[in-house]
Amino acid sequence: MQEQLKPLKEQYESIPIPKELDFIVKQAIKQRKKKTAYLKWVIGIAAAIVVCTTTGVNSSPALAKALSEVPVVGSIVKVLTFKEVVVDEGNAKATFQVPAVTNMTNQSLETALNNKYVEENKKLYDQFTAEVEKLKQNGGGHLGVNSGYTVKTDNEQILAIGRYVVNTAGSSSTTFKYDTIDKKNEVLITLPSLFKDDRYMSLISDNIKEQMKAQMKADDKKVYWVEGAAAQVIDGFKTIAPDQNFYINADGKLVLSFNKYEVAPGYMGVIEFIIPTEAIADDLVSGIYIK
Amino acid sequence: MNNKMEKLLIECITEHKENVYRLAYSYVKNADDALDVVQEAIHKAFSSAGSLKAESSMKSWFYKIVVNTSLDFLRKHKRIQIVDDQTLEVHGPVSEDQYANLDLKKAMDELPTAYRSVIVLRYFEDMKIEEMAEVLNENVNTIKTRLYTALNKLRITMSDDALREVK
Repeated sequence: MQEQLKPLKEQYESIPIPKELDFIVKQAIKQRKKKTAYLKWVIGIAAAIVVCTTTGVNSSPALAKALSEVPVVGSIVKVLTFKEVVVDEGNAKATFQVPAVTNMTNQSLETALNNKYVEENKKLYDQFTAEVEKLKQNGGGHLGVNSGYTVKTDNEQILAIGRYVVNTAGSSSTTFKYDTIDKKNEVLITLPSLFKDDRYMSLISDNIKEQMKAQMKADDKKVYWVEGAAAQVIDGFKTIAPDQNFYINADGKLVLSFNKYEVAPGYMGVIEFIIPTEAIADDLVSGIYIK
Repeated sequence: MNNKMEKLLIECITEHKENVYRLAYSYVKNADDALDVVQEAIHKAFSSAGSLKAESSMKSWFYKIVVNTSLDFLRKHKRIQIVDDQTLEVHGPVSEDQYANLDLKKAMDELPTAYRSVIVLRYFEDMKIEEMAEVLNENVNTIKTRLYTALNKLRITMSDDALREVK
């Protein structure tokens, strides 16, 4: 009987395996894991031949050179794209866009910021290449990394630069980091430096919680993980970090930012809360930055 | 689910992904649907991994999910196509001689799902009767009987065809 079934077995075994199978399996595995480890660089990919089209992200000597070539347009502190690196290895794609601050008289701050931006991207680049290497050994998958920046605020007083990293592996995660610079005095503004004492943490946190609850009440599609809002919240938002991501917007309002998954489900994306100045006025050092 | 179990499950899925794809394909008969079934089966596997007791039976357990997901799929997407004789002739195989195993294949396709499952698992996936019992959620004797009947049915259908041809 088995003899008779042989041709059928051969036929069964010759059912072609679509090339998407690998990806779909990896993605399905990853989606389950995401609940616990969404920020990890998980993955998958088709054995892409790695042909690096880049020499990596430059380090500081080259930075200095590149900056010296930038034509000086007035002596206004500004941000420009210092370097853009594109890696394309079939299923693994990455773009790194490195910003650079120029025209500062305060050279040490300028260098510190620019070095930081280069370092951040160098780290991403190294992580990416390591990940691709790992994927090749595991037989393949898809991976995408995209880093860049946006200028959130650029007025006479404030320059706020937001750097983002988008990781794509099945689904995507986005993280933002901000630097807010006082252009007149050329200093980097930190969150604690804006306030007289630690009270700002509870003032801001309470305001954000109120905003979360108000938004959820007004729109039932919005969900935040905040204590007191829903019974099933286990590890909800309690307080901002002392150095929580923030920037000052063009209206002189303090904006607090949370990365995807930080205080809400993934579909809510990156979340920003504009803090009404009245809520924090008591604790502000001055009204220069925040109005 | 603990980490060790999760790791084993991922290994199991990765190792058998092509087999379960073919298994799914043998039910749904096309690549897109088979991929959907595999994807859904993996999701189900992770979410119901708590019900998995021993590591040893992981493969059978995962196959079982794939089989059930395939059957669910067929139930949900019952597609009945009514085709007239003329169209059948146009689209049907012109010469049966080109397909040495056509009759057997046809007989196999016409087998009720329960019988087709035992043939696929036993002879194509080389499973033991005990494993099949786990996958199909039946006892060993039922599987044996069903396999015997399935083989019989294949033979009977074939001899019927043979008789018709002689006439």
